[in-house]
Amino acid sequence: MRELVRSNPSIPWFLGILAAFCLGVTFLAEATGTGALSTSFVKTLGRTLCLCLVAIAMDVVWGYCGILSLGHMAFFGLGGYAIGMWLMYARTELIVAESLANAPIPPTPQEVEDAIASQIFGVVGASDFPAIWAFADSFVLQMAMVVLVPGLLALVFGWLAFRSRVTGVYLSILTQAMTLALSLYLFQNDSGLRGNNGLSGLQNLPGLGAVPQSVVSIAFFWASALALAAGYLAFAWAVSGKMGSVVRGIRDNEARVRFLGYHVESFKLFVFTLTAIVSGLAGALYYPQAGIINPAEIAPIASIYLAVWVAIGGRGRLYGAAIGAALVSLLSSWFTGGGAPDIDLGFYEIQWTDWWLVLLGVSFVAVTLYAPKGIGGLVDLIAERRRPARTGDLGPDTSALRKTEAAE
Amino acid sequence: MTDVVLAPEAPASTRKSTLLELSGVSVSFDGFRAINNLSFQIGEPELRAVIGPNGAGKTTFMDIVTGKTRPDEGHVLWGEKSVNLLKLSESRIAREGIGRKFQKPTVFEAQSVRENLAMALKNPRGPFDVLLYRKTEDGARRIEEIAREIGLADHLPRTAGELSHGQKQWLEIGMLLAQAPRLLLVDEPAAGMTPAEREHTTDLLKRLARRHAVVVVEHDMEFVRRLDCKVTVLHEGSVLAEGSLDHVTSNQQVIDVYLGR
Repeated sequence: MRELVRSNPSIPWFLGILAAFCLGVTFLAEATGTGALSTSFVKTLGRTLCLCLVAIAMDVVWGYCGILSLGHMAFFGLGGYAIGMWLMYARTELIVAESLANAPIPPTPQEVEDAIASQIFGVVGASDFPAIWAFADSFVLQMAMVVLVPGLLALVFGWLAFRSRVTGVYLSILTQAMTLALSLYLFQNDSGLRGNNGLSGLQNLPGLGAVPQSVVSIAFFWASALALAAGYLAFAWAVSGKMGSVVRGIRDNEARVRFLGYHVESFKLFVFTLTAIVSGLAGALYYPQAGIINPAEIAPIASIYLAVWVAIGGRGRLYGAAIGAALVSLLSSWFTGGGAPDIDLGFYEIQWTDWWLVLLGVSFVAVTLYAPKGIGGLVDLIAERRRPARTGDLGPDTSALRKTEAAE
Repeated sequence: MTDVVLAPEAPASTRKSTLLELSGVSVSFDGFRAINNLSFQIGEPELRAVIGPNGAGKTTFMDIVTGKTRPDEGHVLWGEKSVNLLKLSESRIAREGIGRKFQKPTVFEAQSVRENLAMALKNPRGPFDVLLYRKTEDGARRIEEIAREIGLADHLPRTAGELSHGQKQWLEIGMLLAQAPRLLLVDEPAAGMTPAEREHTTDLLKRLARRHAVVVVEHDMEFVRRLDCKVTVLHEGSVLAEGSLDHVTSNQQVIDVYLGR
């Protein structure tokens, strides 16, 4: 542990700032503090932490391993769908049980299930549970799906892609195709996941109807923060030491790593699948705070945004990705949510809801051209000023006179 | 210093047996026959120099042995059990014990000298082995030894990208040593080195060849002469002559295609 911190001085900083931020939010939240922060804003902050987690995963796969995956938000969305299925099923079950309780004859289990199904699938004109809902009644099994579904998809997709040595921009295009195909499939009403309606009402936790949303929001906020902290530690550990060496070696010169005897495809598959699983977990924490998930969430553009966050924050450093995701997604909701004042130029009025994307695009281009290290690169400026990196021996040959001269 | 370069795992064979055998290997790129019915054998231990004009197929030969290029026909057999190398992946071939030093030094420039050597160090190579890898004193000591051998002992914490061209050459040789291979394929090891360093390189290669099979591809005749070993002359993708340096340099064909120019 001590060695991990020594090789990653960012860990105590990151965890310290995260803890301070959490305490601050807790003291200002409605349920636990002064109420200066509204419940919906606490939810926004909690969601932002989940986005930071998926950004860190993206940084590991892109910034460290060099695989520009433009499909990781698909895994994020699948995690959300997996937990959403249980949330919807369990809550509808309670409602149905309540309404059937007054019936003169107690309902059979089959009747209960049919009633749940017609409640959930009424919007798409169906009344039967599709096969993929087989485990929806079990929280434990559905949580397993949060891990298994993104993990297996990534494993199969990655195995096919990496085995054929698809790299670079072709791999990026393939991942875009994957996420596009998935979202188009889910848009269909007969996909079994309510088509474009998606899953809704996810903020209502089954059995906790009496608990106010202000408490739920702060609980999810803390859960997201813990997941982010755990994810940061786990990834920092994984990319330090020898694994980090090999993975960065793959990014910089894949063929050389191969000639050293490492099976590059297995390493890529490992990183791709691991990050997909973490993305799924992040999604499972995000969507209960968002309340709704629909196929638009896993449209190709979502994964591109993810790459933009990581690029702006600074890839190749975990805290950079987290900073980028937090900053850009919060700014995005500020600009598009009407928080930013419109600018009247006299002849034209800049409305940020329209112009935010332009601003984001310009900043992305600017960062790529002028600050390839991203926002995280600013940390280097401070760190390097404090501690000049003078390691090794830059002087003349050890046989030179200076040794004896210096000794005098 | 002898113990440094000789891996503890290396079998101390006294009897010279064939380690690598290529027979009837041909490969063409877009109709151009880079390798044409090439046959080649090397024992363990043995030092062999491969010379030949540009385009003779020296690099393609190494690409075939290391699995980078698949030949159109022919056999490549390896070791006591005569494993067919053509069926193995590049990484598997490297794990079998074939190490390669590239002509242009290719080290991981963003990483420190120590990390470069640690990555090459002979250890289990699976993703989970690597993830759960713990630094050992043994490994650290071996890295120190190799660093001393290649003259980079003071530079271990430095980023490899900061090294000079010659130092990168040495680092790559060090990585090759750390891999502890049975067969070393060394492409122009002395390029960009000072005369003193060249001497050190010859010395190192000769010491390595006491227990390992070493193939050196080299342009510099003086360097080859100092290696004092059997020489294979490649021309247009096949072996033109083989024998001692004096033998091949007196061969009229060799003089015509290579030395005469």
